[in-house]
Amino acid sequence: MKISSAMLRTFNTVHTWVGLAAGFALFVAFYAGAITVFHHALPLWQSPHLQEGVQSLADAQRLLDGVLERHPEARTHMGMLFPGSELPHSIAYWQDASGVWQFATLDDLDGSPQRPSTELADLVNQLHYSLGLPIAGTYLMGLVSLLYGVALFSGLLIHWPKLTKDLFALRPGRNLKQFWQDAHNVIGVLSLPFHILFAVTGVVLCLVFVLASALDPLVFDGKLMAALPAALDTAPQKSAANISAPPGSLALWQARSIEAAHAQGIETFEPAYLKLANAGDANAVVEITGVSSRALGPQGSIALDAASGELLAVQLPGQRDVNHATLASAYALHFGEYGNGVVPWLYFLLGLGGAFLFYSGNLLWIESRRKRRQLQQSRTATNMARATVGLCIGFCVAVSAAFVAAQVFEAIAPGQIDAGIRRTCFASWALCMAWAAMRAPAQAARELLWLAAGVTAAVAIAHGLVSGEWFWSGAARGPRTASFVDVIAIAMSIAFAMLARATAYRMRHGDPNSVWANPAVRS
Amino acid sequence: MWSRALAGVLPGFFLAAALTGLVAWCAPGPWQSALVPSLIFFVPAWMLLLGGAFLFADGRRAWGWLSAAAALAFALLWALKTLDWVR
Repeated sequence: MKISSAMLRTFNTVHTWVGLAAGFALFVAFYAGAITVFHHALPLWQSPHLQEGVQSLADAQRLLDGVLERHPEARTHMGMLFPGSELPHSIAYWQDASGVWQFATLDDLDGSPQRPSTELADLVNQLHYSLGLPIAGTYLMGLVSLLYGVALFSGLLIHWPKLTKDLFALRPGRNLKQFWQDAHNVIGVLSLPFHILFAVTGVVLCLVFVLASALDPLVFDGKLMAALPAALDTAPQKSAANISAPPGSLALWQARSIEAAHAQGIETFEPAYLKLANAGDANAVVEITGVSSRALGPQGSIALDAASGELLAVQLPGQRDVNHATLASAYALHFGEYGNGVVPWLYFLLGLGGAFLFYSGNLLWIESRRKRRQLQQSRTATNMARATVGLCIGFCVAVSAAFVAAQVFEAIAPGQIDAGIRRTCFASWALCMAWAAMRAPAQAARELLWLAAGVTAAVAIAHGLVSGEWFWSGAARGPRTASFVDVIAIAMSIAFAMLARATAYRMRHGDPNSVWANPAVRS
Repeated sequence: MWSRALAGVLPGFFLAAALTGLVAWCAPGPWQSALVPSLIFFVPAWMLLLGGAFLFADGRRAWGWLSAAAALAFALLWALKTLDWVR
């Protein structure tokens, strides 16, 4: 394919402006997303008592009975995590009379609007999909994902003429812009399939209901909303018969669902969560979602008549319809929940690599506007450098600060943990941005990187002090333990310190005609 | 620049929507059975049109071609539905 130079210039402009508009939000989404890959480990790290062991099914049954007895709203529709799936203990959830989700555990049958022990994991996840902003944040991230798709398309076109020749070129040396350009290109090209995947599924996850309502009258004759439940759920929609019936039990549903999976030739089916409609009614239906191995979309579900355990519908890997197969695969591909234990690590690295992609994009913008023959740099370039340092490195500081705060509040005021980690996160982020706004960009970068190194090391230290479990003792016990978080924190702290040293080296020895030079040289 | 960008946003949206309709209705079985892949298809389709609009030499051509393509695709979808060739 031949691309004219005028076309290349056009797409360069498109790539630059789309990248600048979406880059900051995407840095946040990728950095927080990389950590969210390990969301199973965060509750264990936050609340040491979760490590005492996995609840029994009998405990979960007592939770189910207690919730149904106390909360009539839960009888219409409720959900429940099987113990040992996402968390060692079971959580039940339902919408109260005003539509607010309530979460209950065996220790707290009354329920509360915040899931217990997952405050930190929830905060990091919310930062990932909404920047932590209420409602509008999700739509904003949907638009950002759309721009991200345009940036990928335009970036690929610009790079197309040199794609194969420069694929493995990483040229360190005098031309630093070339080096950053090479790094930006190689990460972009090698992880392109995953970036396309994240951009597309990101838009779908954030904007699905907006898009569905827009497309419904245009192409689906207004019948889309009526068709969605059958496409997304497994259980048939049944209204209550208003005749009471035996409620059924978790043990029955678990046994029946595993039996049904075996009957379909599926070797493993580990129930993860259930949805129960019209509990206690003759038309009560339970839908069990579980994980099977050896499938791209490992999650499948089985719908049972709650009272008798009679099989109503099945959507399992290998024999589900197109809608369910696509949904399960898209979900697994976005969240990295398929394959073996290497996949989460790959997604973690892809997440950090993506964050680097957006950071380096900003650096390239600054570098291409550098005045090569004078110390004084343009105000735009300086402010862009300040914004990049304050927002991006400041965000790394803020996330680590929220982790430290989680341990502090767990120790002194467990009831305040949700508010505490949120305030710590956003306040420290704002302080970092204010600091970067006041300092020369190079100084701010070096100082905030050292701060990030310190606060991230404090993540492991705070956990050791509060829980008494230090990273060297627990790390050997495998990836689903709290110390695993500490080990990653220490590795990232070392990486931040190395970046801080490199920034300081750049200040002293690099080209003085740059925003990244030591400002003392300039005066 | 802005004119081509808007061509991707507006007529691009309607073209992507019509193509989504064609994918859903032309897929084997009733359109409901290909609902999820069709809805997902819309996203990369619109993304490509948002970026692809800049391949036109100027805004007028981008608006013209994308609008014409959208109208044609909707007409085709309408004809297929009306003739009952797809369900």
